[in-house]
Parts: sequence; C-alpha cells; structure tokens
Amino acid sequence: MEQLLLLLSWGDKGWGDELAAGAAITISLALATLPFGLAFGLVIALMHRANSKILRGIATIYTTIFRGLPELLTLYLVYFGLQIGIQKTWAAFGLPGRLDMPAFVAGMIALGLVLAAFSSEVWVGALNSISRGQREGAFALGLSKRQTFRFVILPQLFRVALPGLGNNWMVLLKETSLVSVIALPDLMFWTGRANVVTKEPFLFFGVACLIYLLFSVSSAAGLSALERRFSRGFAAGGRR
Amino acid sequence: MKRLFRTFATVALLAGSAALAHAQQITEIKIGTEGAYPPFNNLNAKGELEGFEIDYVNALCAKMKVKCTWVAQDWDGIIPALLTKKYDVIAAGMNATDERKKRVDFTTVYSRTPISFIAGKSVTSPDISPAALKGKNIGAQGSTIHANYLEKYYKDSNIKLYPTQEEANLDLKNGRLDYVIADKLALNDFVSGQGKDCCKFVADIKRDPAIHGPGVAMAVRKEDTALRDMLSKAIEESIKDGTHKKVADKWFTISILAD
Repeated sequence: MEQLLLLLSWGDKGWGDELAAGAAITISLALATLPFGLAFGLVIALMHRANSKILRGIATIYTTIFRGLPELLTLYLVYFGLQIGIQKTWAAFGLPGRLDMPAFVAGMIALGLVLAAFSSEVWVGALNSISRGQREGAFALGLSKRQTFRFVILPQLFRVALPGLGNNWMVLLKETSLVSVIALPDLMFWTGRANVVTKEPFLFFGVACLIYLLFSVSSAAGLSALERRFSRGFAAGGRR
Repeated sequence: MKRLFRTFATVALLAGSAALAHAQQITEIKIGTEGAYPPFNNLNAKGELEGFEIDYVNALCAKMKVKCTWVAQDWDGIIPALLTKKYDVIAAGMNATDERKKRVDFTTVYSRTPISFIAGKSVTSPDISPAALKGKNIGAQGSTIHANYLEKYYKDSNIKLYPTQEEANLDLKNGRLDYVIADKLALNDFVSGQGKDCCKFVADIKRDPAIHGPGVAMAVRKEDTALRDMLSKAIEESIKDGTHKKVADKWFTISILAD
C-alpha cells in the first residue's frame, strides 16, 4: 500500500505531479474548446433555419460530415492535413521559415468542430421550442430581426438548450482523451506512460477513472446550478 | 512598381541565402520518440525521457556537436508528424521496413534484436509454426512489423492488434490471448516482471527480411539526405569506437546488434 502511495506521490519518485499536469491539460483543453464550439454550433443552427437554400445546404453538409467522422480522424485531419495546407500556403507566398500549429490549438479546432456539429442540433431544438407568436409579437413592436434575436430569443435559448449542451460538454470532456495521438500529454497520455514503466495498470487507470469522474461530477453540479439560475423566472405553483 | 519588385527580390535573396546556410550546417535537430517502449525509450516518474535510445542519440548529438531536443509522440501518427515537420528524426525502436521506406528514409541500423513468441504457462510445445497455432488467439501491437508478420504467415490464426504492447501483454495475462509476438527485449521485461507467474518464452522466430527489414534505424524525411548521411556516419563511428556498446551495456544484458 505504501509503495502504491509512493507511486502517486509528488516529485521525482512518483507520478502524482505528471498525472496532475495531464489532468490540467485535459480540463483546460475542454474549457478552451467549449465557448468556440458552442458559438460555432449556434451559428450552424441559425444557418439551418435560414431562408437561403445555400446556407441551409452548407449547414446540413457540415453537421453530416462532423457528426459522421470519427473524432480521431477529425483530429488527424486538423493536425496533419491542415498543417500541410498551412505550410503549402506559407511557401506559396514565398515566406521564409515556417508557420507551426501547436498541438493544443489543433486539438481545440478538431474538438471544437465536432462539438459545433453536435451542439448545433441542440440549438436547433431550442430555437424551435420558442413559439412563433413571440417573433410575431416582436415584429409587431417594431423590433428588427437582429433585435428580436438579441433581446427576445437569446435570453430564453439557454434555458431550453442547457440540458442538451450539458450532455455535449460531458462528451467533450471524454473526447479530450484522444489528443495524445497529436503529442499533447493529457491525462490518458500520462496514465499510459506511467503504466508502461511501473506495470501497475489497475492503480493508474483507476486513478484516471477517479479524476475523470471528479470532472464529470463537478460539472454536473455546476450544470444544475446553471439550470436553476436560467429557470428562475419559471419556478411557480409548487414547482421550484 | 520597380521598388516593389526590388523589395521582393531582396526578400527572395535573403530567404534563399538562409536556406543555403541551413543546408551547409545542421546545428539543431528535433527528435521524435514514443516514450512508451522501455528500455529503448520511456517517460519516467520525473516526467523525463529515458532509455537506450535517449542516451545513445544524445551521445551521437554530442559527437556531431549539434543541439538535440526531444518530443514524445504516440506511435500512431509518429511518421505523419515527421512528414509535417513536427520534428526531423524518429528514434523510437523503429524497424527500417520496405513499407516505411516508401514514405521516409532510414539511417544505418543501430539495433537488431531477436523476435519471439510468448504464451501462457499451460503451453508446452515449442512449435510456433502457423499450422500449430491455427485457430489460436495471437496478439501484437498494431502498425508494427510483428503485426505484418502475423498477417502474412498466420492467416488461420485469430490475430488481435493493440495500440500498445502493454495492452497485448495484459490480454495474454488475463487469458484473452494464447500467444503474443514482439521484440524479445520488450517481452523479456514483461516475462521477468509483471508476467512472471502467467507467461513464458516459447521460441524465437526466423527473421523474414521482406517484412522485418535490416533492423532498427532512425527515420528522416526523404529530402533530408544531408541529415541522413550525417546520422549514418555518426552511427557507424559509434559502433567502431565502442560508444554504441558502452551505452547498450548500460541498458541491456544481451547484445542488441545480433546476427
């Protein structure tokens, strides 16, 4: 038992600090991806409901592709494919040296693209749930389309979308475990490396399980707090 | 217009001369490795890379008077990352196979180790012919020469491929596999440690040059011929002057430049 604790200790003898560094990368990657993925997802959702056939077409193609591709493939496409594209463009302009996309950014873009595709469906559902009468009412009051969205639709949107988006967040948190293939040392990367050296798979995979669970339990708590806040105008009649 | 042209010409000249200088003198090399293949290369509890390849290549770098930095990259994607210039050299226990030579160039071989089958203790026959292993579950790490070897000769066996060697070993231990094939050195670690109670060596295989290639070498991009020749020369010298043996003896009990 003491030996196992030593393996998890901080410093040069134990893997505690490495695992913590990995967990920090996991959570910061997920947090950095979230706003960009959700905002992009909302844009795709608005395109889905646009009048223009072309915009609707683009949105459909986008969600079809990025919901269909395995996340690992998307990651490869962004990290390797996009990198080659950037280098070719860089060289075509005759610029000296080279432009490098850091693995963290590549991971953010790839996971963000996938998150956008999945969350756009949640946004569409939320947008559909807001009754037509509200838009007509806003129109009657003389609000422009932009104002209607900003002041009438958006504030209500979060309340409806939150449970679905919470799901998307949980999935994103787990998908970050794929990023070690692009040389980003996340929690799974360090867990695997520690296991290879110490031959204690149950200890390290067990600890990784606990850390992932800790992340998801605390985000579940955060999410229900958010849900309460966004629903505060709706609590009435014995339902709190 | 004329001025614009002149600016362009100057920029082009500068870029050209920079490229020329780079070709003449290599002063810095970025090396990619897996960091999950002890005792060749692995990450330790300090969060640092260690192993034969780390010590050996660092010794070569010191001799060549170049600055070497390391990157740990998962095995899948280790060649694409080289091709997209995330680093310049792969030193990760990689066998110089013909299949890989289509995409990268290899230096002189610096390691050639036996390849073996291991199995559960209940296996008594040393026979590892494809006929004897028909219908058995055999595991190996995917995208390796061992996987290719199984796919060529053991078509009638049940082949299971894993992302890392560790997972194949674990599945042999818990009984999902009957045999595991890999580099003898890597397996020795398992058989004398974690797999002491469950597993044992069965036999070494006969190398198939078409699959196994000449041995382990460093990989570089095809266009980097100067770098390749520089590394090859350093490897040859290190084998002659005993540097290779000195480093190898620190990490291995048997010769890693056999046959």
